[in-house]
Amino acid sequence: MTTILFIIFAGLAIGCAIAMVSQSNPLYSAISLIGVFIALASLYVTLAAPFIAAVQVIVYAGAIMVLVIFVIMLLNVEHSEPRRKRLKFLVPVAIGMAAILIAETAFILYSVQTSANRLPGNISDIGLTHSIGEGLFTRYLLPFEVTSVLLLMAIVGAMSLARRTTVLSATARVVPGAQVLAMDTVNPRAVGDHTAVETETTDEAAHLLGVDFQSDRSQEE
Amino acid sequence: MDWNNPFIHSLLVIVAITTAFLAIMLLVAATVLAERRVLAFIQGRLGPNRVGYGGVLQPFADFIKTMMKEDLVPDQSTRFVFLLAPVIAVVTAIMAIIVYPFGPTITVPFLGWTFPLVIARFDVALLYVLGVTSVGVYGIALAGWSSNNKYSLMGGLRSSAQMISYELALGLSLIGVILICGTLDIYNIVEQQSGWFGMQWNILYQPLGFILYLIAAIAETNRVPFDLPEAETELVAGFHTEYSSIKFLLFFNAEYINMITVSVLATTLFWGGWNVPFAEYLFGRGTFLFALVSVLGFFIKIMLFLFFYIWLRGTLPRFRFDQLMDFGWKFLLPAAILNIILTATFVFLTTG
Repeated sequence: MTTILFIIFAGLAIGCAIAMVSQSNPLYSAISLIGVFIALASLYVTLAAPFIAAVQVIVYAGAIMVLVIFVIMLLNVEHSEPRRKRLKFLVPVAIGMAAILIAETAFILYSVQTSANRLPGNISDIGLTHSIGEGLFTRYLLPFEVTSVLLLMAIVGAMSLARRTTVLSATARVVPGAQVLAMDTVNPRAVGDHTAVETETTDEAAHLLGVDFQSDRSQEE
Repeated sequence: MDWNNPFIHSLLVIVAITTAFLAIMLLVAATVLAERRVLAFIQGRLGPNRVGYGGVLQPFADFIKTMMKEDLVPDQSTRFVFLLAPVIAVVTAIMAIIVYPFGPTITVPFLGWTFPLVIARFDVALLYVLGVTSVGVYGIALAGWSSNNKYSLMGGLRSSAQMISYELALGLSLIGVILICGTLDIYNIVEQQSGWFGMQWNILYQPLGFILYLIAAIAETNRVPFDLPEAETELVAGFHTEYSSIKFLLFFNAEYINMITVSVLATTLFWGGWNVPFAEYLFGRGTFLFALVSVLGFFIKIMLFLFFYIWLRGTLPRFRFDQLMDFGWKFLLPAAILNIILTATFVFLTTG
């Protein structure tokens, strides 16, 4: 029974992972990644670790990926243009690392098979909430606290980055994402001139408005 | 009978799931009708009262009517995601049913079968409910994105922002109960509230936590006054503008099942679940009558919460989006953290 479940969920995880890498549409990649997370969570359940499984779904599938999808939806990424093969050298590197990973896995399997001292069969309560909580707050208290401080630093860092003024100055009249601007928006002197000025991207609009990113930044500093 | 036989066990589970599913679906139909009738009463109208006695068959008539409509798919939509979104919404909503604690252990008369009235008991039941509801966000967000419609996209974006923000407050408001009970197993939490003649309910220890949970839960189910994802005066119908026929029905069902889920959580975690005051002394623990009264009490408590939802919908106007965000992050979240600190101090002092 467990073997059948393992085959189903492992197959789902691998299939979703391949789909995630091979999709050209970023939203499809994100959905595939959610599939990977949920399949992984199911595998954790079959390994008698329900708490980790629940946390995996809540944190990764439920919170982080929602943010990712949120960003993809907001940016409305165009996926038609084929990407330039800029990082070609990464392909052999990736193949080499995959080979190392597979070798490591094979080694672990081999040493577990041949090892004399096996783990006891009945360790099913180790993944339950109670034992995880006890471990976190007694034996592994220091690593736990250090990790919390690390997370806190990340939050403070994100806040301080977000609070910094944006690249465009406050006087630049660029509406982010706006595709069509009126002439009096582009040129403050042309009052009442509502001729449409079409721009494809925010960068183009900024260029049209004569906003120089570099000089804008230097003014603030 | 031998309950440990795998075939009998799986048969029992299938029967249990089917029964619970049908019961919840009937409750959904009843809620839909009650919503229309109660709203009509609040607004001084009669509401639908023609189909069947007092309109009891109206939800089924609506169901048939909606199913018969044309199933439209917008020309420029992302077809696969457009079809996937309602399925995600309704599946994640239904998945929560398996941990509903419907009642205590029941002994069927004459046959002598004994089993607890819950489909599955496991260590992390509460986290499981939070997990599947958090995956449910994708149904709405992807529906909004794939429809290729401005209103739908705005609805989807609003709903993902809202549900991420209020999920935090929702989860934190429950931690007080978890601290007091010391378990995440919902069935066990209900059993722990049976003291004091069946009235030792967690609401007595967690009034602040309950109020925070109630507010966050309304936002989590996208109901008035937090129904910005489908604000009809601003966004036509929000994320399900482009959905028709059976796909609309799936969204509709998912919303009502989610309402029932948060009502069940409120009942079980704060209001004693199936514990009815003095039932144990009137009927005796473990008897068939006791179980029956307990199940009845459980459903009555759920219905009171559902009525409260409808009442709110008939009473309150909608929030503005910035008010919604300010309220969630600047009031609910700090208040929930305060509740955790107070509860932790209380638990520390009482248990020594």
